[in-house]
Amino acid sequence: MRDKRMTMFNMLRGAAAIALALGVGAIFIFLSSDEPLTALRYLLIGPIVSFRDSGVSFNAQYLFQIFAGMIPITFTGLAVCVMFSANQFNLAAEGCVLAGGFVGGILGVYLNINSGWHAVVCVLVATVVGGLIMLIPALLKVKLGSSEMVTSLMLNFIILYIAMHYLNFHFADRSKGSTMTYPFKPTAIIPSLVPGNSKMTVGIIVALLATVLIAFFMYRTRWGYSIRMIGINESFSLYSGMKVGSTIVLAQVIGGMLAGMGGSLEVLGRYQTYLWRDLPGYGWVGITIAILAKNNPAFVPLAAFFIAYLNKGCLLMSTYCDVPVEMIDIIQAAIFLFFAAEQFMSGFRQKLVVKTTREDLMKLETQRRLEGGSNNA
Amino acid sequence: MEQNELVVQMKGISKIYPNGVAANRDVNFSVKAGEIHALIGENGAGKSTLMKILFGLERPTGGEIIVNGEPVHFSSPTDAIEKGIGMVHQHFMLVPSLTVAENIVLGMAPRKSGLFIDYKQAVDLTKEYAEQFNLHVEPTARVADIAAGMKQKVEILKALVRGARVLILDEPTAILTTQETVGLFRELKELKAKGFTIIFISHKLNEIKELTDRITIMRGGKTVGVYETDSITEQEISGLMVGRDVILTVEKDQSEPKEVVLQVEDLNFVNEWDKRVLDGVTFSVRSGEIVGIAGVEGNGQRELVDVLFSLKLPEKGSATVGGKSLIGLPQAMIRELGVSYIPEDRMTFGIADIATIEENMISDRFNQKRFNRGPLFKMNELHKETDQLIVDYSVLCKSRSQEVGMLSGGNIQKVVVAREFSSDPILIIADQPTRGIDVGATEMIRKRLVELSRAGAAVLLVSADLNEVMELSDSLIVFYEGKIAGYFDDGQWDDIMMGEYMLGLKRQSDEEIARASYA
Repeated sequence: MRDKRMTMFNMLRGAAAIALALGVGAIFIFLSSDEPLTALRYLLIGPIVSFRDSGVSFNAQYLFQIFAGMIPITFTGLAVCVMFSANQFNLAAEGCVLAGGFVGGILGVYLNINSGWHAVVCVLVATVVGGLIMLIPALLKVKLGSSEMVTSLMLNFIILYIAMHYLNFHFADRSKGSTMTYPFKPTAIIPSLVPGNSKMTVGIIVALLATVLIAFFMYRTRWGYSIRMIGINESFSLYSGMKVGSTIVLAQVIGGMLAGMGGSLEVLGRYQTYLWRDLPGYGWVGITIAILAKNNPAFVPLAAFFIAYLNKGCLLMSTYCDVPVEMIDIIQAAIFLFFAAEQFMSGFRQKLVVKTTREDLMKLETQRRLEGGSNNA
Repeated sequence: MEQNELVVQMKGISKIYPNGVAANRDVNFSVKAGEIHALIGENGAGKSTLMKILFGLERPTGGEIIVNGEPVHFSSPTDAIEKGIGMVHQHFMLVPSLTVAENIVLGMAPRKSGLFIDYKQAVDLTKEYAEQFNLHVEPTARVADIAAGMKQKVEILKALVRGARVLILDEPTAILTTQETVGLFRELKELKAKGFTIIFISHKLNEIKELTDRITIMRGGKTVGVYETDSITEQEISGLMVGRDVILTVEKDQSEPKEVVLQVEDLNFVNEWDKRVLDGVTFSVRSGEIVGIAGVEGNGQRELVDVLFSLKLPEKGSATVGGKSLIGLPQAMIRELGVSYIPEDRMTFGIADIATIEENMISDRFNQKRFNRGPLFKMNELHKETDQLIVDYSVLCKSRSQEVGMLSGGNIQKVVVAREFSSDPILIIADQPTRGIDVGATEMIRKRLVELSRAGAAVLLVSADLNEVMELSDSLIVFYEGKIAGYFDDGQWDDIMMGEYMLGLKRQSDEEIARASYA
């Protein structure tokens, strides 16, 4: 009874947080735009609907673009889910996406494999590199007790500048106007699933497969179980005889692998050359997604779809109206705030708890009265 | 102030915590001006919650509070202090690196030219109050350097300086020596004579008889009665407190101890304050027997258990199970040796509160072959195991997927015990296995302990509940100041005799104590 009510409450709370966040976004749109209603229309329904003189129509290309947008953030969302589940506040998914993209991209340019396996090898190597990078904050945490939050945050910039160095001085195509590598070999490109320029590649299938795999891993295997228990109560896990140190490392390595894979799929699927010269931001979005999904991998695609949808909406809004694209950051920040606020709607929750507890107590009393006399157990 | 005027009235107070625990249920509590009023009850009876509400630390879910005849709503301790209520917490709220005077004026320090703290005036103020209330403290000493008894005086002075007329003392004698306790009682009586009102939280019956005027007894979140201290005996109080005859009898046959399972040899442990908390402890626990460790809390029992389960490293000495050393061994290996452990702090070590009952039940065995097929869990096997344990240990719950933190204390402990008892242990370390839980669960856990020992397990029972150790143990070790003060294996013991050893009045000869080891 109580559990059902609490599930309902949690869903209600999530919906309210999203609604409030959109409300906050709307306030800023009204403050900054001369045509707020048009802007809101583009933001909220623009991503799937086209407005033309002839009327309103469903836009499949837009939907494909949203799916394309889901690819990297599903991976980072999963990565953050796994790491946060172990109570490791690791922020290096960002750097691992970049590293994975860079390594995948370079291999896409220079590796010679004349078949579809080329792309597969690129992605797998990027995955391994992501995992290896995460070993750094993980081992520092387990062996030396340094906060993974600090080391992983700093690590992002180390990765960025190392990649930049090699891009600038070793791999740059000097014939181009801006810094980028030579074009990827056709065999390295991740194929698109649909015609058109939506960039909805095989990557989305891999992302959904990864979701299923990680969901099973977290809830159906001994390693996932250990990760979750350690995340809830490390002392308990230690006393139960779990290998806490190695499990903490494992969670972060898996996170790094997912992020690395996502980065390479994105780079080889969206572009013709490697051209990231700044952190792409998918790692940060991954944190928002993990929070929306409450660290449950099964909900990650849903949350990723929601964020990708909003991204597309904001893009349209900034293209067709006078609202800057940064509006997405305001809305995301607001979602973050309301979701992360432990006390948000706690008054309502408390009322529910009080009600349920009172009912339980009443039931217990009646039960005792019924049993009374004959049975004192 | 008139003698019979009620200074504090709490009417119909209820408190339901966000996790659904009903800590107070329609509690009525009132205190007369100028009395020492005892609030007594077992762990978890709701006395701390009630006092936290009175001091503004918690907000009640329902009910009203009346102080000096006017209804009040405290949203923080500041509000309570303003109305003349002060609280001395069980764990001192002092800044160790500051001096006594600095602690006393903390947050209300006298200023010099508006900016700098006038330290001299703070010292003078401290002296003045210390003099006035006969609470002698050294104003310029650092709090880190003074003894517990002195710290307590500082806490009391802190409340008095802030204008408290009603003092709440939460188990003030728990950390005091006998002499310090005597001193504290004298001071409290003096305060009473000066017209102060004192609420005294404790579960030591003799102290309550000696010190207080009236008693409010709480059980299970409710008030069970208010009595004049003179009109009620200690037996009656304890009966009302626990709602049962204090001694639960458990039927057990004579033990037939076999080989030594746990051998502890010359164990020494020095704590972070350089105090020798374990001092040359040597004893054995044999298969088929329950060895109880009795003693006033803080005499080395906690450290012994911590060393045995590898949480702390001893200074010297050894502890072996079946010949293998436990010292510094990872917990996973200790469990592999067949050691089970019921931790004293079940919420920290015993369970993961927001995980399900199932996830909590399998935490020591999820790696076993029978629960895994390749990389995947055999979910059916896990469900079967959990459901069986829920039935075997009669855990009251809605389903195996209920959050364990939502269960009552007794049922949480049943989950812990079900896990620890069902892994075929050769040694069970049970640290306060029935503390703060209901009678039904207590009885079940005690019965199971006896059954397991008769089936061949070695049991080391550490408990602050003297009746429990006396009732369950086949042989008994008394700890006093980190040493074994006595070893008894004849079953001929009573609480008076135990008390003498526990309080250091008596000590056996070295030869008698050496009998505890069978190696």
